[in-house]
Amino acid sequence: MSAFLTGRELSTMLLNGYRNLLRNSDLINDLNVFPVPDGDTGTNMTRTLSGGVGNAKDDAAAGSYMKAFARGTLLSARGNSGVILSQFIHGLAEGMADKEEISLADFAYAMSLGQRDAYHAVMKPTEGTILTLIRQGAAFLQENSFESFENCLKALIAHLRDVLQHTPELLPVLKEAGVVDSGGAGLVCIFEGMEAALRGEVIESDGAADSSLKETAPVTMGSFGPDSVLEYGYCTEFILQLMHAKCDIAKFSLQPMIDYYESIGDSLVAVMDCDIVKIHVHTFTPDKVIAYARQFGEFLTFKMENMSVQHSEVVEQKQGPKDKYAVVAVTCGEGIDSYFKEIGVKVTVSGGQTQNPSAEDFLAAFRKANSQHIIVLPNNSNIILTARQAADLYTDAQVHVIDTKSMAEGYSALSMMDLYADTVEELLESMTMPLEGVTTGQVTTATRDTCMNGITVKQGDHIGLADHKILSAAANAVDAAMEMLQALEEMEDKQVLTVFYGEDLTDEELEELQNRVEEAYPLLETGYLYGGQPVYSLIMAIE
Amino acid sequence: MKKFVIFSDSTCDLNAELRKTYDIEYVQMNYVVDDQEYPADLDWGIHSVKEFYDLMRNGKRVRTTQVPREAFETAFTKTLEAGMDAVYISCSSALSGSIGLARLVAQELSEQYPNNKIYCVDSLCSSLGQGSMVLTAAKLRAEGKSAAEVAAYVEADRLKVNQAGTVDSMEYLRRAGRIKASKAFFGNLFGIKPIIISDVIGQNFAVKKTKGAANARKEIANMMAENVIDPENQCLYITHADVPEVAEQLKAEILLQVPFKETYISAIGPIVGASVGPGTIIAFCHGKEVTIEGKE
Repeated sequence: MSAFLTGRELSTMLLNGYRNLLRNSDLINDLNVFPVPDGDTGTNMTRTLSGGVGNAKDDAAAGSYMKAFARGTLLSARGNSGVILSQFIHGLAEGMADKEEISLADFAYAMSLGQRDAYHAVMKPTEGTILTLIRQGAAFLQENSFESFENCLKALIAHLRDVLQHTPELLPVLKEAGVVDSGGAGLVCIFEGMEAALRGEVIESDGAADSSLKETAPVTMGSFGPDSVLEYGYCTEFILQLMHAKCDIAKFSLQPMIDYYESIGDSLVAVMDCDIVKIHVHTFTPDKVIAYARQFGEFLTFKMENMSVQHSEVVEQKQGPKDKYAVVAVTCGEGIDSYFKEIGVKVTVSGGQTQNPSAEDFLAAFRKANSQHIIVLPNNSNIILTARQAADLYTDAQVHVIDTKSMAEGYSALSMMDLYADTVEELLESMTMPLEGVTTGQVTTATRDTCMNGITVKQGDHIGLADHKILSAAANAVDAAMEMLQALEEMEDKQVLTVFYGEDLTDEELEELQNRVEEAYPLLETGYLYGGQPVYSLIMAIE
Repeated sequence: MKKFVIFSDSTCDLNAELRKTYDIEYVQMNYVVDDQEYPADLDWGIHSVKEFYDLMRNGKRVRTTQVPREAFETAFTKTLEAGMDAVYISCSSALSGSIGLARLVAQELSEQYPNNKIYCVDSLCSSLGQGSMVLTAAKLRAEGKSAAEVAAYVEADRLKVNQAGTVDSMEYLRRAGRIKASKAFFGNLFGIKPIIISDVIGQNFAVKKTKGAANARKEIANMMAENVIDPENQCLYITHADVPEVAEQLKAEILLQVPFKETYISAIGPIVGASVGPGTIIAFCHGKEVTIEGKE
């Protein structure tokens, strides 16, 4: 039983929390309100937390360990729950700053700062979400006292599970969809994993899944050529599974390995967790790093980067004068991507539905935009917070995030962008003004049965959504689209319809849609563009 | 007996009745369809308004040519022979080379006829914007002003004629090279209606975008309201490329906002029509001086 936690203990607990989240991420993804494969909460939270695990260094001190962990999560944050989680962890880290070990009182205090930052992350906090669990958890720790972290976490988890069960009462959309809040469920998973670690119950790493979460920065080809000099060596990082066939795991000591790697490299970080060894080392002789490690086991993952290549990338990015304005937009689908570039977007960030980009993805795009003012179109309600987080983290430009909730809104903002604007305020106004008049229409396939808005949806049905509300369900995409348009109250005021058709819409369906729209709305000006987006057979900007 | 002749050209869009009332003459430009050249007469004697714009709707390319040298020589010589001065108020020099040629011809004739003068004024506008200046000149002449005084007045006053219009499709303007606008304006954007003004150097300039025809009309009405001075004593001019009902609609919408004394609607002649295309509507009023210069 422990009343204090060191940095190493926190490291073990958080790694276990992360793995428990990873293990349950599919279940969390399924707790989606809409029967649509939208920005999945489980995946987003897992990837957010993986940034913390990846960035944190072996550190005996709790405060400095958490600081690095928090920085990692801030950068890799994606999706609304991910951003809230990263802010929560940021607050936790602040509450533990400068501590060698944290006490139960420190933990309760840190939770209160975590709550503060989590609520700060969103403009309009919604109850019945992960926020409610964070708030209730912080309050629970304020109101109760414990003698050990084991008891504390156990009670906290029981309390949070109870709060989670009640989220549908706070948030009607959950109730209607018959699910509990997915972000809240993710948070419970993390605490459960942490609590299990305290009991010595280590969740096995799924090496493949772990490594798939790591993202490598794009390499600039040609930055390291046939005549270049290997100036900085290689950054190597690996996770080694110790093998009974190769060594006596129980008696294995990390020290000789540390000594050897320090003799052939530097910036060494070495961590051991039961039968797993994690090493990070910069070296000019990676072959020796590999050969030495394989005396004791086999690699679960191995990552190596030529640091001279990374260096050239940084130098390249600093070249060229800055533009005054640049637009960075999230796109999904090759058609939408190239079209958005054609009408004024400088850098696109791939994302949208199932793959929400991280704050770090945005930061990379901001660097590439190389501009005094950067205007960001997140084009998805689950990406806005991430974009805002990245905007806060970026210091080299003024970043303005326009809250576009769909590709259609992004299109609408871009189409009305006034490039003659004298000030950034005017430019932003020209892009935000049209958002009042645009309705987003979407047609996709239901992933499960549900009944929403009085509309019964069967799995596999084509459903029509207007501004993210289900308005129709039909056997095919064109019917769903037409019924959605007919159900749209504001349709008679609309003048322009721009349709982005997805990769799965057939030529026949497109033609049928064009004919039926022409017939039903002869006065509407219409345009059809290949969007190539997955998941949504149709995205419509109805203006 | 009039003291001097007022000339305009095929882009002034003044009908026979007005030309007669105000005693206005004009020189003709030409338009070419299928290699056949037609004079751009203001009374639609060859193609009716509908016939002309239907040609364009059916994909016929219409090219235009400036006023031929002989037309200026004939018209100006006749005036000078009669011992009279003349004021020629031309289509914007940014849209037609006619004014340059007119000045050249006037200069050449000045040696032969030193006692009279042809004053050439670049309207820096076209259609009824230009037409309104011609009417102003005629009214001043009726008040007894000389050709020199009238020419000076119109030249000083021309930037106070405000234009705001929109086209159905940017395609014609782009093809004719008759507009300044950035690439983003030309993007493949559906339902975007540019608001086109005539800028300080008389070029058409897409000053802003609107979405949908109704919003474009609203913006045109707003710009008329914003730029007009003393509307109770002003005429609202509206021209259209074969959409008379839309012109009426625009008129009604503008009059809701601005109490113009009178309104005058006409069709856009073939010369301007060829570069703006069917469906275009343009409003003009007299008011604040235009200060915008279009940039790429």
